[in-house]
Amino acid sequence: MRGGDLVLQVGIRMAAVAIVVLVIALVLGWARLVPLALGLLGGVYALYLAADDPPIDVATPVFAAGLLVAAELAYWSLEERENVSAERGEVLRRAAIVAVEGAIALVLGAGLLALADAARTRGLAVDLFGAAAAAAALLLLARLARR
Amino acid sequence: MTRTASPRVEGYAALAGAAFVAALALRRPELAVAGAPFALVLALGLRLARDPRVRLGLELETTRTLEDSRVAAELTVRGETAVDRLELFLDLPADVEVAEAAAAAAIRLRPGEERSLPFELRCRHWGVHRVGDIEVRVRDPLRLVVWEERFALGTTLKAYPREEQLDRLLAPLQTRALTGSDVARTKGDGIEYADLRDYVPGDRLRSINWRASARRTSLVVNERHPERNTDVVLLVDSFSDVRGPSRSTLDEAVRATAALATRYLDRRDRVGLVSFGGLLRWIQPGLGLVQRFRLIESLLETGVSPTYAWRNVNVIPGRALPSKALVLGLTPLVDPRFVSAIQDLRARGYDVAVVEIDPAGAVEPGRSEAERLAYRLWLLQRETLRSQLVRLGIAVSRWDASSPLEVPVEEVRTFRRYARLARV
Repeated sequence: MRGGDLVLQVGIRMAAVAIVVLVIALVLGWARLVPLALGLLGGVYALYLAADDPPIDVATPVFAAGLLVAAELAYWSLEERENVSAERGEVLRRAAIVAVEGAIALVLGAGLLALADAARTRGLAVDLFGAAAAAAALLLLARLARR
Repeated sequence: MTRTASPRVEGYAALAGAAFVAALALRRPELAVAGAPFALVLALGLRLARDPRVRLGLELETTRTLEDSRVAAELTVRGETAVDRLELFLDLPADVEVAEAAAAAAIRLRPGEERSLPFELRCRHWGVHRVGDIEVRVRDPLRLVVWEERFALGTTLKAYPREEQLDRLLAPLQTRALTGSDVARTKGDGIEYADLRDYVPGDRLRSINWRASARRTSLVVNERHPERNTDVVLLVDSFSDVRGPSRSTLDEAVRATAALATRYLDRRDRVGLVSFGGLLRWIQPGLGLVQRFRLIESLLETGVSPTYAWRNVNVIPGRALPSKALVLGLTPLVDPRFVSAIQDLRARGYDVAVVEIDPAGAVEPGRSEAERLAYRLWLLQRETLRSQLVRLGIAVSRWDASSPLEVPVEEVRTFRRYARLARV
């Protein structure tokens, strides 16, 4: 068996497990399983990137937007488990917000990917800057979450 | 309002963090790009989330209703700040429900906007119900933060028992001196014909029976029964409540008591109430509409208070049990203390009748042979108890809610018509 085929098979199995976990999360109402399922999908993507090692994957913004929309829809589904009668148009409005989030994720991803592509050949200083930015983003997240 | 993070915050933070770490570890910027939207949603959502301020008011069309009837209600919500999604959960007691709608609603409010949400409540069971508790949940536009608060608006809804069909009532053996609708056994001025007697000076000419006088050599006059009222004391057994899957003897006793009280008061009789059990409640006999409401409001508070103390009729105040009163017991005949009280009252010369709220239907015979045998023995024991009461001159009739209340009342009437009055 070639290495590419092995990666493909592992990826398919991980994706199947991710979908099963997501279905369990939605059916049983376990919100903590949603990031696990999406994390598994991200793992499949990371596996593909590690195995194929393309110079830059232009499909990343679509994947990022798709992952965010999937997460939003999963959490929305969990929120709607309670029998709450909503106003007319509430579903459409919420769907529009999710679509806008997906569109912003797409644009942001494309921008970041272009930036990453431009910075790719600039050496160690840019790598260090990127790492510092990532750490700062994590710190910011932790601080905001504590509020 | 209590502010908490929604499961999204934890999930998005974990996904973004994992993506960034993986990007650094694998040196792939694509993974950081995949995690960036989650970080952006988190940063924006948490930054934009503002504490909401909401005011609530609840108005009921009426605070008194009948079992199974609907009551219109209106919930007024005012948003001091903008609220993207406001979820309102009516925390209703088990016996109250929102008619033909969900007990929860979600709305959106602009700053300063006031909304009215009309709905209807239905009480499935009589009682005093607290309906003003409302759970409020507010979500921000990106659904990252949840604010929760419980509003206790303190509204009570009294559901009166529904009325049982009842056309004829039990006539008492003795009446009082005041005018009412009962035909007294004594003779005097009245409408109902009683007897003939010889004329004596002073008798009114209009009472002379001319046809009877023509057949005799002397004048005879009609005698009549006067219409009088009576005292009725409804004695409710609150020592025990035999509950089955779909019925409760105490519920049925309360419904029957409410129907009897209403009908006796309509006849201008004085009606009193004694709820005899772990807690003794009593209302001395009275007349009129006010007494009706007083009795029914007291009935709404009827419940079983378990007690092992022996109680007898001595604890009932004398004013609550006037002499010559008809004492009508409503009981499942389960607790020996109530049975003993009935026997005691009969021994003291009260006119006593019992409507037995039959508990047999609420008790499962059991599956094993021993259980079925115990059930049959219990039924036999109850037959013996009934016979003992009948021997004392107490009319006993069985009733369950599947038949009209008229049936046991008619049974008691028949018993009293044919049974000899026992002087004990």
